[in-house]
Amino acid sequence: MTHPGVEVEGMRVAFDGVTALGDVSLAVESGEFFTLVGPSGCGKTTMLRSIAGLTDGVEGTVTIDGRDVTDDPPEERNVGMVFQNYALFPHMSVHENVAYGLRFHELGDGRSEDDRVAELLELVDLAGVADRSPEQLSGGQQQRIALARALAPEPDVLLLDEPLSALDAKLRKQLRVQIKAIQQQLDITTIYVTHDQAEALALSDRVAVMHEGRVEQVAPPEAVYRDPASRFVAEFVGDNNLFDGTVTDDGAAVTVDGATLPLPADAAVTAGASVTVAIRPEAITVGASRKVGETTLTATVETVEFLGDAYRVHCRWRGRHVECKTMAAAPPAGEVTLGFDAADADVL
Amino acid sequence: MAPRVDRMLPAGVVATLVTLVVVFYYPVGSVLVSAVSDAGRLTLGPLASVVGDPFYHDLFAFTAYQALLSTVASVVVGLPGAYLLARYEFPGRRFVRSVTILPFVLPSIMVAVGFLAMFGRTGLLNDLLAVVGLAPVELTFTLEIIVLAHAFYNAPLVTRLVTAAWESVDPARVETARTLGASPLRTFRDVTLPQLLPALLTASVLTFIFTFMSFPIVLALGGLELATVEVWLFARVQSLDLAEAATLGAIETALSLGLIYVYLRFEATQLSGRGESRGRARTPLVAGWRSLADPKRLALFAYSGVALVLFVGPLLSLVVESVTTADGTFTLRYYEFLLAQQTSTAAGTTRPLPAIANSLLFAGGALLLALPMGVVVSVVATREGRGSRLWEALLTAPLAVSGIVLGLGMLRALVFGTTLFGYRITVTGPVAIVAAHAVAAYPFVSRNVTPALGSIDDRLVDAARALGADRTTALVDIELPLVVPALIAGAAFAFAISVGEFDSTVLLAEGVDSATMPVALERYTGNRSLGPDLGPATAMGTVLLAVTTVSFVLIDRVGSGWNQ
Repeated sequence: MTHPGVEVEGMRVAFDGVTALGDVSLAVESGEFFTLVGPSGCGKTTMLRSIAGLTDGVEGTVTIDGRDVTDDPPEERNVGMVFQNYALFPHMSVHENVAYGLRFHELGDGRSEDDRVAELLELVDLAGVADRSPEQLSGGQQQRIALARALAPEPDVLLLDEPLSALDAKLRKQLRVQIKAIQQQLDITTIYVTHDQAEALALSDRVAVMHEGRVEQVAPPEAVYRDPASRFVAEFVGDNNLFDGTVTDDGAAVTVDGATLPLPADAAVTAGASVTVAIRPEAITVGASRKVGETTLTATVETVEFLGDAYRVHCRWRGRHVECKTMAAAPPAGEVTLGFDAADADVL
Repeated sequence: MAPRVDRMLPAGVVATLVTLVVVFYYPVGSVLVSAVSDAGRLTLGPLASVVGDPFYHDLFAFTAYQALLSTVASVVVGLPGAYLLARYEFPGRRFVRSVTILPFVLPSIMVAVGFLAMFGRTGLLNDLLAVVGLAPVELTFTLEIIVLAHAFYNAPLVTRLVTAAWESVDPARVETARTLGASPLRTFRDVTLPQLLPALLTASVLTFIFTFMSFPIVLALGGLELATVEVWLFARVQSLDLAEAATLGAIETALSLGLIYVYLRFEATQLSGRGESRGRARTPLVAGWRSLADPKRLALFAYSGVALVLFVGPLLSLVVESVTTADGTFTLRYYEFLLAQQTSTAAGTTRPLPAIANSLLFAGGALLLALPMGVVVSVVATREGRGSRLWEALLTAPLAVSGIVLGLGMLRALVFGTTLFGYRITVTGPVAIVAAHAVAAYPFVSRNVTPALGSIDDRLVDAARALGADRTTALVDIELPLVVPALIAGAAFAFAISVGEFDSTVLLAEGVDSATMPVALERYTGNRSLGPDLGPATAMGTVLLAVTTVSFVLIDRVGSGWNQ
């Protein structure tokens, strides 16, 4: 029987009486790339540190590969951890850093420490820097060394706490491709913490969106984006237009400020209920050709941002802000017609 | 391997506590208790006799008065220095800034001899006055020379704290005030000054505490005519009037504890985050010939001249007087005396070489005790949690108890002996000296190591633990190696404190065998049979200066923590 890579049951953490995590349960599959994403203060880092055993006063249970590690100190949990600021030991060389965990772990197949260090430096593409001091390396290199150090003792789970946040945008994208590749190569259970929803969507097998110490939704990236489980998820992941309104008597549409917006056919709503309709900016067309059955709104363009591959258009419709994205060759202006397919709307 | 080291810290905590109880809390406590008890009965008799005696009213009033004068003098001398260091750039600025730590390690009895060598009857000042045909100035045994010597000690403290505050004033705030229309003077008043005041007040309170409890300077420069509480206390012990001394010591300790409490309460309200921030650009002190006519700069040059005389003068005089005779010719006689006296031991005189050896030996012993104690206190203080405030209190308590009171307590409780479970426990003078020095020195180890430990990113320890190291292994593998510079600086501090310690040593070093350099120095100063000149004392003082300078260089070069 296979165990989940990491299982958390009823985890609660409070700091000085303030709830950081309130009764969270999760199961991460073995070999899965699992991401905790949410704004700062949502409890994602607390959750990661609690799994590593680095937080005091954690309630609930943690199992890693079927082992109950709830009462184990961090050094006995066999986790690999990577921190945002690298946390390399400044008084040790790169080699000593990567080899540090091997002081406390036997390698199963009797490989020597030197072989293992060389293997890992190769893995992170940094063979040849072993004798350097961490300070002589760039931020991106330091983070790869931190990754190699975490992986050296062959941990059961790899925990990454905002590992790319300290790097510039271009490097961030390069390194996340590399992290994903290494994770797949080693097939290691990985829990990744980030506040960057785009990073979460790009990397993960599944994403847990966290908010105020709770998990709002756990799903593959596509599902989180296309079918958000809550208003918070809809707003936090990607951009969204939210319309609050009341379901009409026939249950086929929603009244928003006197205008009627049709609902998708599969929307499970009851007449008269207050609902929120979410429509992604890229699902809205600006001007141009109309498809049959499309909902149209007449709005006024307020500002336009040029994004390189598209324009983001900020419009006003009945006093509301509506954002849409268009690949048009020239920026729209003045009064425009916005259109969207009812099937692209999401009811929350 | 791991379980063994994991028991190290609790064992260290227990050992530190036991040591503190035995060599500090118990002796000092016995002094305090004896002030309110007579043969085991609670009585207010001794206290009442001191409190009701007009002589003691005058004694305490004079002690406070000279401390107040000294505080004002220290601020007057120290404040322009802070302005100069914080706002002007000149060659040697960094050196001057780091030298402001020097008074912490200069033995005060040595500084007192330096002041005698400079301002005394046969001192350098009068020699120079005689050369230009002026009448000699008599400053020995005056309040002025005591206040000057106290300013020598505490003005650098004022400079140090205020410079740090000044450097941490955010230039953007100053610039904002200027762009909003405030004049430079108005900006200083509204933006800069409020940020300097806490540092200035802190420095003033500390200076008042230090000079209230000052001992060797007042003893050597004022004598019994200008006695403070501390000097009178010493005289009572010398005449074996231990009961009255204990009462006096108890009152003094209560007063200084009150002052320390005020200081700690005050310090806690201050904003943290000191250190040389990116700061405002400093103005060059000299920018072409024109700048030399600037009145502000002229005043700073004048100030620098005065500061040079006050701070370098006494130390230079010490060295100069140690190699010149009364009529101004070069001599090595006094150094020969240091060596020669070994063979011809006149009864009751202190032999110099054993004193030097004792100083180094005691300092080594004190270091062995103070270093682990200081590290244990730092580790506990850094790890947040219950009891950390208690440790902070334990750490500052030795600051509030004068060396004389500690020496007196040790004399009564340890050297004269205590009966415990039917056994008579006594400790020899040298052991008591080492213990007293360790008590005086370990807070300096902690004050160096605690900030260094505290500045280590917690995640380094987290990373080590996730990799399999237990908490104590992480301390040994990661934290301690990273604070080695602070440890060395702390050790150098502890060594210097021990080498220069006079207050408790002079009480515990009974006879000639366990005298240290500062004790020998005081005896040579007071010994008129050696002739009217300060020769032997200045020679011994120069040796002491050399030893403390080496300590200072270590602190300065290695322990960068104190320079930020």
